Amino acid sequence: MFSNMFTIAQRTITQILRDPRTLVLIIIVPLVIASLFGVSIPDKMILNMTLPAMLATLILFFGFLLSGIAFLRERSLGTRERLMASPVSRIDILGGYLLGFLLFAILQTLILFFYSVYVLKVDFRGELWQIILFQILIGILAVSLGIFISAFARNEFQMVQFIPLIIVPQVFVCGLIFPVSQLPDYLQWLAKFLPLTYGIDGIRALMLEGKGLGDIGKEISVLVAYAGGLLILAGISLRRGHSA
Amino acid sequence: MKESAIKIENVEFNYGHLKVIDHVSLEIPKGISFGLLGSNGAGKTTSIRLMLGLLKPNKGNIFCLGREPSPANAVNTGYMPQLPSLYNELTVRQNIDFFAHIYGLKNAQQRRKRVDEIIQLVELMPKRDVSVVQLSGGMKQRVSLACAIVHQPPLLFLDEPTVGLDPELRVHFWEYFENLTAAGTTLVISSHTMDDAAHCRQLAFMREGKIIAQGTPAELRAAVGKPDASLEDAFLFFIRHGEVKSNVQ
Repeated sequence: MFSNMFTIAQRTITQILRDPRTLVLIIIVPLVIASLFGVSIPDKMILNMTLPAMLATLILFFGFLLSGIAFLRERSLGTRERLMASPVSRIDILGGYLLGFLLFAILQTLILFFYSVYVLKVDFRGELWQIILFQILIGILAVSLGIFISAFARNEFQMVQFIPLIIVPQVFVCGLIFPVSQLPDYLQWLAKFLPLTYGIDGIRALMLEGKGLGDIGKEISVLVAYAGGLLILAGISLRRGHSA
Repeated sequence: MKESAIKIENVEFNYGHLKVIDHVSLEIPKGISFGLLGSNGAGKTTSIRLMLGLLKPNKGNIFCLGREPSPANAVNTGYMPQLPSLYNELTVRQNIDFFAHIYGLKNAQQRRKRVDEIIQLVELMPKRDVSVVQLSGGMKQRVSLACAIVHQPPLLFLDEPTVGLDPELRVHFWEYFENLTAAGTTLVISSHTMDDAAHCRQLAFMREGKIIAQGTPAELRAAVGKPDASLEDAFLFFIRHGEVKSNVQ
């Protein structure tokens, strides 16, 4: 039933694995950013407090960038139109890309997390598997967001311009730099509609307060709803008969 | 007359306010090579996209092998786009194998056999494990053709398949195409070169989204009224005489 979906996922993974430069960048860039973040905050207590939010932000950023650019490239090279002319369904295409990109988003997530814990010596509470599972959920959101936003860009240059529009405001408003409660009322109101707010709240609850996934049902529900909604919208943008 | 592979009934298509296809009706018999000829922007690629179901007509109906274009029917069609549209990082074999799989060749052993056959057909065996990015333009075109025909579709759309090919490779391509029609495949080929047109069994001349003439190459040449008229003369003749509705059949 999902044979074509897995074929597309496998092809997406093989493409990246056969491009050594991209693969190395996928691994090295998160390490460089995490290292810079670590050494720029010498106070261990502040690092412990801020790193979970930074992890959520970086997962969103890298996942968005990877999937957005890669999906857009399919369109500019014409391979997406070729795929749309084949018997594969929209679910196969979206699911295939999601699975493929997600593998690398998870890889980046694990690199960031274990580097933070074992090299930067960041303390955390809570269950390791639950933290990783929640980070994967942020990764799914990031990939969905990248695929959806790529529908609005005509080339890679335009796609890159979406980063300051989609990611940077979330960095300022969602509690990475200042707690949301200290922001002006209208920004607090805005923060409620931004998915990174829930990503940061959730990961802080797990890593700093030692809570479990059962305690952050609201955050999980919002992220799942966001990811699902974005994928549905991406699916609409992919429909045959409107691929011009 | 043979049964129709494609039937287009009074189709109109607009990009916004721009009319790109203007009340086109067309019937293409099965098992022939049919050329859509016209200059750039005449509506050839849009016509092919409409026939593939990638675009939806604003008016009119399209039937491919008796059914409306849809993903379920796409298994009976092959498509070679104007650009090679391949996965550059993947090898020749990986690209063809991918398209073979999504077009329904699920059995790994059978697929492998078929992929090898098709690589041999397009004479790329020595390059089978080379990344597409390392191939020349002509080789990429051959891989692209292989991806379009690997599942042996009865109906094949080729959008400017010989653009950028050297004369020798163009001859090879037409040999492949003639073998395909001999085996019963219907080919719909868009082109703006009269070399390609001469190889087609039937032609439609397109201009500004309309079909201005339709018939066999001999019929179109004869319409000019000069004994030594070429297809280029015929094309210019129909352009100068405006819309010659219907065809010269």
